[in-house]
Amino acid sequence: MKFFNLVWRNVFRKKTRTVLTTGSIVLVLVLIVVLTCLLQAMEQDPSGNRGSNRLVVQHATGLANFLPLSQRQRIEQIPGVVAVSPQIWFGGVYRDDKPENFFGQLSCDPEIFFTKLFDDATIDPAIEKEFRATQNSFVAGQSLVNKFHWKKGEHIMLRGTYIPVTLDLVFVGAYRSGDESNAFFHNEYLNQAKWFGANRVTGIYYLKVADAADLPRVTSTIDKMFENSDAPTKTLTEKQFQASFMEMMGNIKGLIRWISLIILFAVTLIVANTVAMSARERVTEISVMRTLGFRPGHILGFILSEAVLMSLLGGLLGVVLAKYLFVPGMVKGMATTPMAPFLINFKVTGSVLLAAFLISVGVGVLAGFVPAIRSSRIRIVDGLRQVV
Amino acid sequence: MAEPLIAIEHVEKVYRRDALEIPVLNDVNLEILQGEFVSLMGPSGSGKTTLLNLIAGIDQPTRGRIVIGGKDIARIGQSELARWRSRTVGFIFQLYNLLPVLTAFENVELPLLLTPLKRAERRRHVETALKIVSLEDRMDHYPRQLSGGQEQRVAIARAIVSDPAILVADEPTGDLDAKSAEEILVLLNRLNAEFGKTIVMVTHDPKAAARAHRMVHLDKGVLHADEQTEAGAARKA
Repeated sequence: MKFFNLVWRNVFRKKTRTVLTTGSIVLVLVLIVVLTCLLQAMEQDPSGNRGSNRLVVQHATGLANFLPLSQRQRIEQIPGVVAVSPQIWFGGVYRDDKPENFFGQLSCDPEIFFTKLFDDATIDPAIEKEFRATQNSFVAGQSLVNKFHWKKGEHIMLRGTYIPVTLDLVFVGAYRSGDESNAFFHNEYLNQAKWFGANRVTGIYYLKVADAADLPRVTSTIDKMFENSDAPTKTLTEKQFQASFMEMMGNIKGLIRWISLIILFAVTLIVANTVAMSARERVTEISVMRTLGFRPGHILGFILSEAVLMSLLGGLLGVVLAKYLFVPGMVKGMATTPMAPFLINFKVTGSVLLAAFLISVGVGVLAGFVPAIRSSRIRIVDGLRQVV
Repeated sequence: MAEPLIAIEHVEKVYRRDALEIPVLNDVNLEILQGEFVSLMGPSGSGKTTLLNLIAGIDQPTRGRIVIGGKDIARIGQSELARWRSRTVGFIFQLYNLLPVLTAFENVELPLLLTPLKRAERRRHVETALKIVSLEDRMDHYPRQLSGGQEQRVAIARAIVSDPAILVADEPTGDLDAKSAEEILVLLNRLNAEFGKTIVMVTHDPKAAARAHRMVHLDKGVLHADEQTEAGAARKA
């Protein structure tokens, strides 16, 4: 500890240079913490494991194809299946085409939706009752309601895109859940409109199984049941289904990991350059210290400590900014976007903090290693002769 | 005759630059007694700084022995040599070479960080050293806030703080005005006379050299003359 003062003073010897270098570490750590937390959130169940016994049945070729409604009855008859709700992703335009007005619009079976299927969502019984009773009604997540300031009884118009109908829906109330980015309306209301799929098809089946242990059996039963039909199915757990949206964007996790590694490498080079410049400017000073009795090991330790200290300071600031500014800001800003389900578990965890600490130390050690070795090997007489 | 504190025996130093061999010192023999003040003089390239570096243990001879306090420092390893330097030799440079990020106090304290002394003990030693060089009121000043003469006095305080037996000074007045140079020479004389420090000083300045007891002349790596000064004669008398 008696050398800390010397290390600290040397880190801030050229303040502008240190601030700029530390700033680059801060930015990188913010980025890495945010991306790592996002990856972790994407790998976790948005319902907090409560959705672990829910399945999604989609067309085997993907979400672009519909499934016949006739499959519902057969799925309901499979032992262990508690509730099945056909659902269609309406994807209509609200107000205008601006992205900020986009939100999830899904049809459902209101008779079972909140009581048997999404029983982890919280909804006022009076609202749920009114939702069931009113065919052109809709309910929405509280965050979405807060965003659009919908009032009870308010009408909204949704202009269909791939389904060529316009829905006139009445808002009856909000539900609370981990994912509050969607609005739900009646399957029947959509079926009454004139479009090619009315009363014939659905986008997916959302279903609940009594026991999570039955999931593999139910999954394979469903897929085998329709294997040779006109509409073969692919049954996924809720988590797999949500993850499949990310897969549509390609191997996003791999991409994030590669980007993180590349920027880490870049910032290591930046820190290495700063440490090397700082050490080069102090060749004479280092030699003077050696004349005073400091050994090569001391010099190596000083230079390495400076690099690690600078890196740790940047890392610490980056983590604080990520934890208290960027992550909460992103969660708030994207609460009503399709990303919302993935943001439920989007927080800076202990493991991420530990990883950030290790990354900071690692960057410091890697960046400082070569300049530290070089400085410790300078011959005293050569260093004293050097004019910087 | 008393045992010399510093005995240089048949020392040669050759620098190698790629395939080129540059002889710098050639069969130098020199003895310096404890408490002596010796100045090394000679033209540029004569080898006086190299000889000083060898005496200080920051460079190794190509051949020969350098025995200081009974120990041949040409034969000991780098780590032990570093420890020996910190205990035995104090350095004074032409350009002071203080660390700009540290205050006068912290610069003087630097060699003591290598000792097991406690913080309070280090403070006491540093204050004593700064008092000897009359800079106790400047201990919180950074080098940039001091004049050249004051910086050199801080450097001298740093050199004496661990109470080494030998002080080596490489052109200690070379970068100072006449008044500051005189102050430094007076201080060196005082350290020699009052505190018994053995001083080896490289200088170009005959006036500065005359303040020593002996003047050793080097030319082209060969020791040409070793003469007693008036100060040396007065000391003997």
